[in-house]
Amino acid sequence: MITLHGVSKTYNEGRPNEVTALRGIDLAIAPGVTVLMGPSGSGKTTLLSLVGCMARPTTGRITLAGEVISSLPERFLTDLRRRRFGFVFQRFNLIRGLSVLENVVLPAAPLGAPRAEVEARALSRLEALGLAGKARMPVEVLSGGETQRAAIARALVNDAPVLIADEPTANLDTALAHRFLDIVAGLRAEGKTVILTSHDPRIISAAPVTAVVELRDGAILQVRS
Amino acid sequence: MTALNRHRALLDFTVAALARRRVKTLALVAVFAAVVFLLASAMFFAASLRREAEATLAGAPDLIVQSLSLGRQTMIGAEAVPQLAAIRGVTGVEGRLWGYFYDRINGANYTVMVPDTAAMMPPPGQVILGEAVPRLRDFKWQGTPLFLSRREGDLVRFDIARTLGTETALLSADLILMNEADFRSFFNVPAGQFTDLAVSVRNPRELSTVVAKATIRLPEARFVTRADIARTYQKLFDWREGVMVALAFVALLAFAIFAADKASGLSAEEAREIGILKAIGWDTRDVIAMKLWEGGLISGGAFLLGTVLAYAHVFWAGAPLFAPLLKGWAVIYPEFRLTPAIDALQLGTLFLLTTLPYAAATVVPVWRSAAADPDAVMR
Repeated sequence: MITLHGVSKTYNEGRPNEVTALRGIDLAIAPGVTVLMGPSGSGKTTLLSLVGCMARPTTGRITLAGEVISSLPERFLTDLRRRRFGFVFQRFNLIRGLSVLENVVLPAAPLGAPRAEVEARALSRLEALGLAGKARMPVEVLSGGETQRAAIARALVNDAPVLIADEPTANLDTALAHRFLDIVAGLRAEGKTVILTSHDPRIISAAPVTAVVELRDGAILQVRS
Repeated sequence: MTALNRHRALLDFTVAALARRRVKTLALVAVFAAVVFLLASAMFFAASLRREAEATLAGAPDLIVQSLSLGRQTMIGAEAVPQLAAIRGVTGVEGRLWGYFYDRINGANYTVMVPDTAAMMPPPGQVILGEAVPRLRDFKWQGTPLFLSRREGDLVRFDIARTLGTETALLSADLILMNEADFRSFFNVPAGQFTDLAVSVRNPRELSTVVAKATIRLPEARFVTRADIARTYQKLFDWREGVMVALAFVALLAFAIFAADKASGLSAEEAREIGILKAIGWDTRDVIAMKLWEGGLISGGAFLLGTVLAYAHVFWAGAPLFAPLLKGWAVIYPEFRLTPAIDALQLGTLFLLTTLPYAAATVVPVWRSAAADPDAVMR
């Protein structure tokens, strides 16, 4: 369970370009699939960043399994990020020039596990996502859907219990969006927590989704379970 | 094992990163290696010149006594020999015969000497030549004699006993070694006359006392100690080293500009990659370790390449880039091979002067990017 208590986030504090992206967020995210929805600028990505320990709240606190994580020093946050969270970015952010497999093993590199073990784990993830045949190919040759699945495999290579995905279907056609939802359903079945941002109606109304959080102007408008 | 695996994984990523930016990587290595090549060449060259000077000095007498007339050197008589030999502490006095011969054919000056060891003494009618003399005279066939014209205008034939190697050619390139009788006959030097006298003393610390006593006995003479010769050599080498230091300074300056340019920031692509790595779980130390590997591979590889090329340039190819610096050292510019001499301290300094600034230049902007929140880097 991830909880946020009175969380707000202000960028460029005290400068002329100061922006408050979130204000007074109180939210509990249970295991399952949670979708954060809202128009651009509503604070969805900021909320994902805070939950995923990629940024710190300006005020308020965030807890993970009862432990306050928002005030942890950077190295603990990094450790949490690599062990507890997997990230799928809107543009997938695979590193060009590397192969699919090289990209997928990247989150495991700093953990110091033997290479053979990490590669076996990565190949198993790629196989589950139907990409084992393209493991040695450079990521540039992948289609949009394959790129997304490679990004998901990378997010799951450390067997993180929480998957965070920012607008995962924004660049996908309907068929690929449905394929993604199948993957999400599988992850939910594995007992993982999936947190997505989206304003795609296909996602919001999909079967595996357990909660929808509607944001507007940095505040929660409503939460639907 | 965990740390080893971690570094192995980071190294794998680094190699892959360098391979996918291979044009940029090769350009970096080329620039870096060129700087190291120039600096290392200058260092090898200077160290080798110093060794040549030391080798020359090692065979120099403790004291040279010359006769002066009107302030210029003249021949010295053999009667000075017993006067010097009688001084306490003097173990030997040898008369030396040497001079210069101006070769009108080439416009070059040769140094003509009677060697002081039997091993180097050519038989009558024969000479031993420095490596540049047959080259200048364009001797193509073995057995070609050397004809030298005396002051009177007649030509004297000498057969060539052998030619000296290139190892010591820096000082011996223009040398002609001659038998004493031939020397006296060729230059019309009467018996009992020498160019100068070489004096050896038992205890070098007593040299100043020996000189003081010799000055009383031979008031018209000039006394040149080994230390005086060393100072002269030092001056000759110093200005050459000075020019090389200036060259090295220019190279270092170019390198500093290159490093500063690199230190000024990362490309948008590099910054984005660091953001991705941090977002997927790498911490600042991982990113910096990866960049240190990258800097180490580039600077280490370039240092190795530059040093090997410099070694080949100086010791195999005879330092053609520095040839103009050597002209004027010997009257004839020698085609010499410097004896390999590497100053480990200098090489270590060069390593530190080039690789450390490069590593710092690589790491500083990375540290700035990597220390930021991954969210900030991503945005």
